Amino acid sequence: MKEQRHTCTLRVNGEDAAVVFAVHHTLLEVLREEVGLTGTKHGCELGECGTCTVLIDGKAVLSCLELAVECEGREIETVEGLMIGNELHPLQSAFADLGAAQCGYCTPGILMAAKGLLAENPSPSRDHVIEALGGNLCRCTGYHKILEAVEWGAAILRGDLASRPPPEVFHGDRIPGEEVVDA
Amino acid sequence: MTEEMKIKVGFGDTFRELTVRIPDGDIPPYQPGDPLDLVGTSEIRLDAVAKVTGTAEFTYDRQPKGLIYGKILRSPHANANIRSIDVSQARALEGVRAVLTTPDVFEDSTARYAGAEIAAVAADSEAIADEAVRMIEVDYEVLPFCVTIDDSMAEGAPKVGRGNQENVDRVSPRARRRRRGGEINADAEASMVARMKEREKTVDKLFAKSKGVVEGEFRTQVQTHAPLETHGVVCDWDGKNLLCYGSSQATFGFKRELGSSRGPVGAKDVRVICEYVGGGFGSKFSAGREGVLGAMLAREAGKPVRLMLDRKEEQTSAGNRPDSLQKLKMGVAADGTILAYRVRSWGTPGTGTGGAGAHNDGIYNLGEIDKVEYGVRTNCGGARAHRAPGWPQGVFALEQMMDMGAQSVGLDPIEFRKRNDDHPIRTAQYDIAREKIGWDRPRVRGGAATVCRGVGVASNLWFSAGGRGTQVMVRVHKDGQVEVRNGAQDIGTGTRTVMGMVAAEELGLPLARVRTFIGDTRDPQGPGSGGSTTIGSITPAARLAGYVAKQRLLEVVAARKNWPIDQLGLRRGHVTRSGDPVLSFDAACQLMEEDVIEVLESRKANYAGFSDTNAGVQCAEVEVDTETGEVRVIKVVAVADAGKLINPMLAESQVRGGVSQGVGYALLERRIMDSQEGRMVNPNLEMYKLLGAVDCPEIEVVLFDVYNGKSNTSVMGLGEPPIVATAAAVANAVSDAIGVRITEIPITPRKVLEALGRKGSDTGKKGE
Repeated sequence: MKEQRHTCTLRVNGEDAAVVFAVHHTLLEVLREEVGLTGTKHGCELGECGTCTVLIDGKAVLSCLELAVECEGREIETVEGLMIGNELHPLQSAFADLGAAQCGYCTPGILMAAKGLLAENPSPSRDHVIEALGGNLCRCTGYHKILEAVEWGAAILRGDLASRPPPEVFHGDRIPGEEVVDA
Repeated sequence: MTEEMKIKVGFGDTFRELTVRIPDGDIPPYQPGDPLDLVGTSEIRLDAVAKVTGTAEFTYDRQPKGLIYGKILRSPHANANIRSIDVSQARALEGVRAVLTTPDVFEDSTARYAGAEIAAVAADSEAIADEAVRMIEVDYEVLPFCVTIDDSMAEGAPKVGRGNQENVDRVSPRARRRRRGGEINADAEASMVARMKEREKTVDKLFAKSKGVVEGEFRTQVQTHAPLETHGVVCDWDGKNLLCYGSSQATFGFKRELGSSRGPVGAKDVRVICEYVGGGFGSKFSAGREGVLGAMLAREAGKPVRLMLDRKEEQTSAGNRPDSLQKLKMGVAADGTILAYRVRSWGTPGTGTGGAGAHNDGIYNLGEIDKVEYGVRTNCGGARAHRAPGWPQGVFALEQMMDMGAQSVGLDPIEFRKRNDDHPIRTAQYDIAREKIGWDRPRVRGGAATVCRGVGVASNLWFSAGGRGTQVMVRVHKDGQVEVRNGAQDIGTGTRTVMGMVAAEELGLPLARVRTFIGDTRDPQGPGSGGSTTIGSITPAARLAGYVAKQRLLEVVAARKNWPIDQLGLRRGHVTRSGDPVLSFDAACQLMEEDVIEVLESRKANYAGFSDTNAGVQCAEVEVDTETGEVRVIKVVAVADAGKLINPMLAESQVRGGVSQGVGYALLERRIMDSQEGRMVNPNLEMYKLLGAVDCPEIEVVLFDVYNGKSNTSVMGLGEPPIVATAAAVANAVSDAIGVRITEIPITPRKVLEALGRKGSDTGKKGE
């Protein structure tokens, strides 16, 4: 059984990736198997769970429903491209700090859906956030921390922490940095 | 030799002294007022950055060199015998590397549900594997079937089980058999039946004496686990040794299963790696047939194989929570004391009857109990342990009976529960839940208005102190590096983080200074993530290993510096002498002669402790639209007890997760079987509804910090308890809102409208 294969260059996270893949493969499969970016997850392959969400030309799409051959010449962004240099993107740091990632499997898709939202609307209300994440399922967290993290990440991005103070996390008495005291 | 000592146990500002026997070599539990720097703080998960950057490697992400792809052929029939399987065409297809059949591998020529494994293929691409699966020809002897509890219990129903097995088995009290699976011992059975009759009479007498007697019949649906990462493995052989990356909640369980000489795989040496798992909820203890087939395909192909289930397989074949039919009766004395309680319940865990039971007789003092439970065989995908197995369905029924019992003697539901509850922790939780939900606030009730509101309460109980059989290794290196190792998995609960926290606390180091290793069976033995016992099993061993490593390091310092060891400690990155920092941790490590201090410590036996169980109370507020029948859960207050809190943020997250699954169970989730074809008709996430962000209520979590004293960390696990009470609290709230009880979940708009219709006609009759 011979599979018809396609050769092309995909633009992923600002870099060109030369790939060869079976023509029927989805963007999800090509990103994971050919480009080697496994941050984007398989959940259902039916467009029902949102774990495979990536951005194409800045808009959140489900990569399991997108044929890779149709993505040539478009800007694809995955969770691996979210960091800004060596720094976490504000959405990422908000998710980490608030404990919005539990098992972590839905997290990459939710981060990308959130980034897509903030590109359109930098100051989303709670309802906007809920609507934008309406297609992303999470079986672990009960969503609350995710919603808070998106709002906090948005506030950091806007440089507007005054209107949206960091949500209350009880970090207790953190151990101060070590100073060397040698006898 | 064990040491007797006095410890303080309790919570809030009420503590009492308890004399316990500390096992030899263990250290006493955390005590109120202990100067703890890490324990009790919401440290960020150690793997948070890996999870938000996409670098966390789940089983699905493993791509060893030369990877090929496995697929399973599944039965389209709900009940069939396999006469023959012809795999010749599949085997001849170019790119196919291995083909296996269920009769060969499992010595099983039956397909007892639509979705049962028939054969498996490994090929160079998924498309080739799919094509090869389609080319396998199976000759089935198709048999009649039952896919619902009612069909299976009906007169003259086709036999579902093997041989002469009846469809309905009494599972409690269990019939005595001559040997396992053998004939029932008639004499023992006769005396058992006599005892059951006696109990029935006793309870009947108490019902006759009761002021209030209430009865109800309740039904719950089959719920699937629906983890976002499906079940599956990536298997790679090196000669006789198997490396299995498995989506697992029991790495050592997978290892035993795949390495057992009695099993079909029988690998000489098995290493299981599961650093990250995308949810399990009880369904991933066993490698399952998919795991066995993945391992065997890889061996036959001589190449690494990835066999991950697709979503349809996941929903059909990878486990579920059994449904239930529960007929209950309760007798209450005038003062609100429950005198007697009767249970007759049925549940279907698939083709077997194990795990059918519903825990509807726990939590409260229910007086004399007469309980008989049955398991019902159906041709459906088998149950697997599901987050608090048996409890959410049982408590759904029990808690409605509690409300009905309260009403029968004119008591407030919460007061009635308090009157029949003596749990030392829960009795302190009711009033908090009551206040936080605004129980006594006026609300529009009764169903006359279009939109009504109501509140409901329910409780939970759990048993998660953990126990023996776990070891943790701590290594302190001369360069100051510290490792903490255990081979169990972290299924998202935060096991890695809390293990690191308790060890780092002993060593006086910030959490970032210890490197934690988890999810690899090369590391010391750890528990399966079951019974919410992971944290209670791992943290005492981790704390003890950290403590012993500290003592060993301090011995080095004492000898080299000529300081008296009893003046020395480790805190905040330093060696302290009489409390003052005198030497950095790194400098202390450099005094070591050897390269590493390596300590391996075991989890010791539990102590007597404050309470063997952890408790919780939940209250829900709902809004019901009486025109559309739609129910919205507005808020859930969850008061929870996790023993000593190691990391409140992680504990809170467990509670929110449990409550949200419970709300989905109450309103949305339901496996639907088609009685004509015998198949699951909603094996996906579009028609099988999980709770989304849109439907998720406000959840207020109140955590109790209990110095339980069951182990040196006093901790109790919290994975399962929070899901136990939620559906029951929601159902009670719906009934409070509309004034009529809905006895079946999920509470869909149709059921609400039907219930309102019944109520309307009842009222009509009264008016006549």
